[in-house]
Amino acid sequence: MQWLDAIIQGVLLGGMYAQYALGMALMFGVMRIVNIAHGDLMILLSLIAVSLAGVLPLGNLGLVVVIVPIAVAAGWTLQKFILNRVVGADPLPSLIATFGLSIALQNLMLEIWSADTRSLPNSGIASASFQIGPIYVGLLPVIVLICALVLTIGLDAVLRFSRFGRGLRAAAADTEAAAMTGVDPKRIYATATAIAVGILGLAAIFAALRATVSPSDGPAQLIYAFEAVIIGGMGSIWGAFLGAMVLGIAQAIGLRIDPGLGILFGHLVFLAVLVLRPEGIMARKR
Amino acid sequence: MTETPILSTHGLTGGYGDFQALFGIDLHLMHGEVISLIGANGAGKSTFLKSVFGLLPVARDMVRYEGDAVGGTPAHRMVQRGLAMVPEGRRLFVGMSVEENMRVAIDHARVSEAEGLWTREHLFELFPILKEKRRQPIEDLSGGQQQMVAIARALLCQPKVLLCDEISLGLAPKVIREIYAVLPEISAAGTSIVLVEQDVSLAREASNRLYCMLEGRITLTGKSEDISRDDIAAAYFGATNAVA
Amino acid sequence: MTTEIKHMRVQRQTNSSRIAMTLGVLVLIALVTMPWWASSGKIRWAIELSCYIAIAQMWNLLAGYAGLVSVGQQAFIGVAGYTLFVLAQNFGVNPFIAVPLALVAPAILAVPTYFLLRRLDGPYFAIGTWVVAEAVRLATSNIDYVNAGAGLTLRVMTQYTQHQREVGFVILCAILLLVTIGGSYWLLRSRHGLALTAMRDNPVAAASQGVNVGKLRFFIFVAAAVGTGFAGAIYYMAQLRITPGAGFDPFWASMAIFIVMVGGIGAIEGAIIGALIFFFADRLFGEYGTSYLIVLGVLTLVIALFARGGVWGLLQKLGDHPWFPVRRKLIVED
Repeated sequence: MQWLDAIIQGVLLGGMYAQYALGMALMFGVMRIVNIAHGDLMILLSLIAVSLAGVLPLGNLGLVVVIVPIAVAAGWTLQKFILNRVVGADPLPSLIATFGLSIALQNLMLEIWSADTRSLPNSGIASASFQIGPIYVGLLPVIVLICALVLTIGLDAVLRFSRFGRGLRAAAADTEAAAMTGVDPKRIYATATAIAVGILGLAAIFAALRATVSPSDGPAQLIYAFEAVIIGGMGSIWGAFLGAMVLGIAQAIGLRIDPGLGILFGHLVFLAVLVLRPEGIMARKR
Repeated sequence: MTETPILSTHGLTGGYGDFQALFGIDLHLMHGEVISLIGANGAGKSTFLKSVFGLLPVARDMVRYEGDAVGGTPAHRMVQRGLAMVPEGRRLFVGMSVEENMRVAIDHARVSEAEGLWTREHLFELFPILKEKRRQPIEDLSGGQQQMVAIARALLCQPKVLLCDEISLGLAPKVIREIYAVLPEISAAGTSIVLVEQDVSLAREASNRLYCMLEGRITLTGKSEDISRDDIAAAYFGATNAVA
Repeated sequence: MTTEIKHMRVQRQTNSSRIAMTLGVLVLIALVTMPWWASSGKIRWAIELSCYIAIAQMWNLLAGYAGLVSVGQQAFIGVAGYTLFVLAQNFGVNPFIAVPLALVAPAILAVPTYFLLRRLDGPYFAIGTWVVAEAVRLATSNIDYVNAGAGLTLRVMTQYTQHQREVGFVILCAILLLVTIGGSYWLLRSRHGLALTAMRDNPVAAASQGVNVGKLRFFIFVAAAVGTGFAGAIYYMAQLRITPGAGFDPFWASMAIFIVMVGGIGAIEGAIIGALIFFFADRLFGEYGTSYLIVLGVLTLVIALFARGGVWGLLQKLGDHPWFPVRRKLIVED
């Protein structure tokens, strides 16, 4: 029963990781852009949410309505002015550019918000739980998981069936050929990054509700997002979701074995996947 | 010239960074024509097409389309104006099916599929094998079939001018004949064509006029049927290099 | 028309490099004599700066030449540091002798790490190195033998006087600089250096010319791990204390990236310039808090976007005056 509980907690944790990973799946998985500042952007949005909540009488839903558009605009700006300049075959420039951005953001947040941890006042939703058989399941994690699932289904559908999705996949497959076919690669990339960071905006609010956030938390979320995307397989949105599940479950099981081992277990599973099946779980045949 | 060429270049120079590949190319294409651009490997033919299509930087006035100076306009906007390219090496979108490759073009075409000259059905009539394989990933198709998809994709942009970059490259003779058989139909439908080729006889048979390039310059031009093989040999290889 | 070449030679040194070499020797002499003329505070500075330069050189070798972008070099820093502490404290080895002995640890870690990650390219490799470093950090925080999260203290150093310690440190630092800078320079000037430059520019073409890309990358990875570990061992020996959070701090990776990218990737001179910039920025502005890091972060971003060759790259545009020339010039004399 202990193990079943671990798996369920792992799946719920995976829901949160999936929200971090979806944006990464779009940027890294599809567009092959390395955004080291991914986690820091989320933390920034969380901190903005917390500060706004302290000043304006916004409920959680109100915060979502305010933060997500800010996130979308931030993503669009990031791609248009910074990342579009470093898109290309060589991954080093985008890695270094976003790395510089990450350091600048983290320290900027430290200056503005100091190192204190913060969270959103949540009127009990973070501690509400319900019972399934002998197991207690938190209400908020379930909401997070459901949102992650809906976002995954939606994003996957958009990529597969919409005009935008086709154009993005084309641009990611061969940017010049896409331009020759009438696709404006810069604009489509900007839209994709806007969506990716928009999703982060939602994740930011959940993150601040379920736990505390502090300015230096970015890198941890970043590593989970990367791990989830790589475990699941590049280019696959469902892969990112599944990868997040695998990561969450691995961490939960590790935690059951020994409280200090949770995250380490996740890393070990990730490294195992890198060795045994580097193309990921949902890899398409080449 | 009483009629304005649909596409023309004027002293087109350009290249890659510090490396100059083109030294003042003057070329024109009239509406309804098929012209070919021949030359050996490295002569600058593909560089020329890329420069016309906005993939390489050129001065505004060096390229004119329907009379307007369009040099340097980004490729996706050239498509909106009415040009399309079948690129060297096909460059289809890997990971997507035949139909998806075609739909990208439809999604971003100059006019909608309903209003344009080229519809998916029309192209499936032109290339029946594509209809059969429409849902398959393009990696599964043969070279010749991929070339057909590339041509279909370009036509679905509803171009007034089609630029074809070495569409015979790497294909078996039978397949090349199949593909070249389609060109007259494309031309008859009203699309003007620029055909870049290494194979001289293919180019001569398929075009009204031809240009020959060597080391970034035009060395010969004239009506395809009027130019002799000797003239072409001299212009293709360079007078001092031609084998006597 | 042929020209008869009567006499020709290959010139490798330039005026600028002769000057640089002389200055370098003077700097080393100054370093080694510091315990006799400098304050303890300045000696600490010298030790830290030497470590930064060494770590940056190794990262430069990895990323700038072998094409391996690592965000996990801190694994080797921590492992070497910890091994040093364990050898000195638990096994009673003379700490100064323990330093070279401790280098076995990063080498041992580097081998399986490389084999684990070698088939990955670009960003995957980078993330892989980061995860490995994090895994080692977490594992260390859970091992009681090394005091888990509380870390170790190098109490055995108290048997030496301040002066004795300082002499030991400056000698170690001089050796560190000779090995890392000198070693890089020697490597780049050898035929391996040509292979490395070829590999950096185009690995496939290099392989087609007979360069054993895999073997060379492996060698560089392990060498860089050892060089980085060497700096780590010295650094923590001087700190007298090591914890998993410090020894395996991802900030080491950040620092290496700053220094090399801002200074100028792919050039030994760049890593030195970058280390000086970072070091002095840290000393001058560190007291105002971490806001100077915002500036360094933005600087790295701007360099990556607009001046990929870094400060050294910009200086090179003004004139070609290498300190460590790696090119060969053919001089034809009549």
